[in-house]
Amino acid sequence: MGEIMTSIGWRLADLVSHALDPHERDAVRGDLSECRVNGWRAFHEVLGLVCRRQAALWADWRPWLALVVVVLPLGTLLSHASRSWADNSVLDISLYARIWEWSYLTYPGWRRELFRAVWSTVLGAAALSVWSWTCGYMLASISRRTVWVAAIAFGLVVFFATIGTSTLARIRHDEFSGHFYGVVLPRLFRTAFVMVPLFWGIRSRRKGLIRPSMLFIGAAVVLILTVLKSPGLQSSLIWGRGLYGDAGPDRTFGTSDDPRPSWPVVVILWPTAYILATAMPNRQRRVDA
Amino acid sequence: MLGEFEYLMLTAAARLGDEAYGAAIRQEIEDATGAPCSIGALYTTLDRLENKGLIKTWMGDPTPERGGRPKRMVRVTPKGVEAATSFYNAVRRVSRGVAWAKS
Repeated sequence: MGEIMTSIGWRLADLVSHALDPHERDAVRGDLSECRVNGWRAFHEVLGLVCRRQAALWADWRPWLALVVVVLPLGTLLSHASRSWADNSVLDISLYARIWEWSYLTYPGWRRELFRAVWSTVLGAAALSVWSWTCGYMLASISRRTVWVAAIAFGLVVFFATIGTSTLARIRHDEFSGHFYGVVLPRLFRTAFVMVPLFWGIRSRRKGLIRPSMLFIGAAVVLILTVLKSPGLQSSLIWGRGLYGDAGPDRTFGTSDDPRPSWPVVVILWPTAYILATAMPNRQRRVDA
Repeated sequence: MLGEFEYLMLTAAARLGDEAYGAAIRQEIEDATGAPCSIGALYTTLDRLENKGLIKTWMGDPTPERGGRPKRMVRVTPKGVEAATSFYNAVRRVSRGVAWAKS
């Protein structure tokens, strides 16, 4: 048992040591082997060094810029948007899961409604994914060495920024009394369509996987999805944060004539603008050459 | 003026001479102080001393007992010797006449 535990400790130490520079990782790992420390002490010591190195990096301005420009504003927007769309999607999913019959497909009205539900969910998932990907790409661009700490902070904002708020779907329906539909599925939705694309964006930037020409195509996709989903993005803040404004000419909140704040659309697009702006000099250098 | 831990590291590295590297310095400090020395404190202090020009470090050859991993070798510079000497003399001067210095 002791050997198993010490082996686990060494594995964790090796895992955490990947946050160090390669030369330092080798030297530290070698020193700990030579001193014949047990696995858990090795893990504790490496973790201590990694924390000191990370803390030293935060003395620079770049990690704070990433925090203020990406993590806090975009994490909050995506937190509200993902929760709102998860709740709306879960409403449709739970409804169809409970009352589904294949004969419904013979009715045009049902087919239209099913298409609407699927299209709404797919569009919401696609929009969240591309927005999150651009956030990850921008985080890795601004501060490469602290990107993983920033990504963890982003995740915390995404999962906790909506505490104390609710959504229209959640208020109106008692379908969420179940643990799976009320708690588990929305969190899976956020993990799959926010956190996974975020890490993919970080990885794409770090490994230089995306050609500049693809970035322009990607930006067009982001723009189209943003145009399609901007009312939902704005509504998620209005209903989630209680930013009620004017009810519009029909004097009813929640209808299409309500004036909505435009700043969420500007904020959600600024990683895309940043990516294009930084991609353009590279493209120009290739053209000039 | 050097810090206490910086002085311990300079002194340990000077005593070890050509054999001064991370694990050996760590062992020297632990033997002298009777307290554990963390890798985190050791490596961050090595960086600080190198930035001040008091030591030079480089990656040495890998050895089998280290699993084929290299060592981070350390050599105290003349400026480091001067700083350690200054610290030692200051400690001696300020300790004159105190009870624990007499013993």
